Amino acid sequence: MFLDSFQEKLLRGEGGEARQFAMEIVTKVGDAVGADALTHIKSAHILAHYSSLHDAGVEVLERFAESGGRFAVPTSVDPASIDLQNWRSFGIPEDYARQQFRLCDAYAKMGGMRCWTCVQYQVCNFPKQGETLAWAESSAVVFANSVLGCRSNKITAGMDVACAVLGLTPRFGMLLDENRKAGVTFRVGLRELSDIDYRSIGFFIGRKSGARVPSLSGLPSAVSSDQIKHLGAGAAAAGPVTMIHMPGITPESPAVADAPGGARVEEIEIARSDLTDVEADLNQTDEFPDLVAFGVPHLSVNELGELARQLEGRKLKGNVKMYAYTSSQAYDMAQRTGITSAIESSGARITHSTDAEISPLKKLGFNIVMTNSAKLAEIVSSEGEIKVRYASQKEIIEEVTG
Amino acid sequence: MNPSLMKGRGLVKGRARAEALVSEKAFTFAHGVDPATGNVTDVRSDIRGSNVRGKILFYPFGKGSTTASSWFLEAVRLGNNPSAIVTEGVDLSAVIGSVMARLVYGREIPVVSGIPRAEYLRIRSGSQVRLDADLGEVRVEP
Repeated sequence: MFLDSFQEKLLRGEGGEARQFAMEIVTKVGDAVGADALTHIKSAHILAHYSSLHDAGVEVLERFAESGGRFAVPTSVDPASIDLQNWRSFGIPEDYARQQFRLCDAYAKMGGMRCWTCVQYQVCNFPKQGETLAWAESSAVVFANSVLGCRSNKITAGMDVACAVLGLTPRFGMLLDENRKAGVTFRVGLRELSDIDYRSIGFFIGRKSGARVPSLSGLPSAVSSDQIKHLGAGAAAAGPVTMIHMPGITPESPAVADAPGGARVEEIEIARSDLTDVEADLNQTDEFPDLVAFGVPHLSVNELGELARQLEGRKLKGNVKMYAYTSSQAYDMAQRTGITSAIESSGARITHSTDAEISPLKKLGFNIVMTNSAKLAEIVSSEGEIKVRYASQKEIIEEVTG
Repeated sequence: MNPSLMKGRGLVKGRARAEALVSEKAFTFAHGVDPATGNVTDVRSDIRGSNVRGKILFYPFGKGSTTASSWFLEAVRLGNNPSAIVTEGVDLSAVIGSVMARLVYGREIPVVSGIPRAEYLRIRSGSQVRLDADLGEVRVEP
């Protein structure tokens, strides 16, 4: 991979230890993936949650921060493993919280935006069309490539910090025109899509696409950015998908024929039975849940409002807990607009700056989790410790409230 | 052509000689391997219940969360990592996890990609395999 003279200096350590460490990571990765050069990024999004980074990740981030590492571009961060404000009331053990706060301190020292969300594009990190990014968080990368018209690879933990510190990323993969052509085309002709249908469509696409970039046509013209957010999250949870061409939505493919770049590719019609297969696959039990989790990825304030309306006049049954996961910004707005009190009068809670799939659910004693998130269902069921039920928000509320 | 020799591309250099552990499904360390033991816990994995420690691990593609490299690195910290990884497509998590393992813990875990699933599925889990990532070669021992 070509390095200019400034980058060579950084690699030799003339820009300090942190940038040398970062250069070693990006150059070795760049060489491994066949990148021709490093290219400038406009923003970064990194991971700093203890449940995935573990003690090794705490060591790495502290090493960056203590050796002078500072973010070179605006940098946002995925949710933490605990609600950073109300963690005690959710029963998080002290020693667990301490490791998360070590990550928070290192991240803050490096100058990151403290917004702790997986939907940074809805709350704190707003790229414009055409920008090159180095974002972690698979669902956000799908959104950036597919909806915002930006270019980002799915940057993995460790490399995310290196790119943010340098303001550079290796040029390969989804940064290059030739890798952004659709290699498989999906069509959905179904009407009346529910909240889990969007997630299941994404999940189905993720399973079927393999290493190909998919395109998807036939979505209702009124599809919302929240629905696309959940569709993309489902796709990225099920396979290596980092982009879905959606004609009329994706800036670089205004029409169906644009997505494959003229080549003939496999065409797959998504049938209702494909979605019920996904549901059957993600459902592991029909037992009554001890936790209902909404908001993987984080709910927007609009989605919190919708949840409040659906919960109106209802109370949670038995000992079931219901958590709605959101960003700190949406949490604040929900408090100011009465949404929080409307949701909490049912017995449910809103929690912010954390998310279900990266919080220690097993440690907190949960055994059966019910959700409308295909991403959460996939991750939790993969671990095999907690059983998952996957259903629409409406079905869930009907079952667990009275 | 020697049927026991497969040729791909070495993404992270190094050599290994160990037992094969072969998966035909997309694989992830994130929520899929317990770093404290090396056990594959992913219920959707066809090698669930196997242990990756010290093995040459074969899978077609990565999947899921971008945190996989940090799960991998934690397994390295605790000494429960595979000794090498072979994939069909480039799995960035494996590459980054391996690069970080060398930088942070001084451990060499070579990665080879570009060996199609149909080709590597001729190898059975438990077979002795020799891998040279400098040459991009994976060889089954007789």
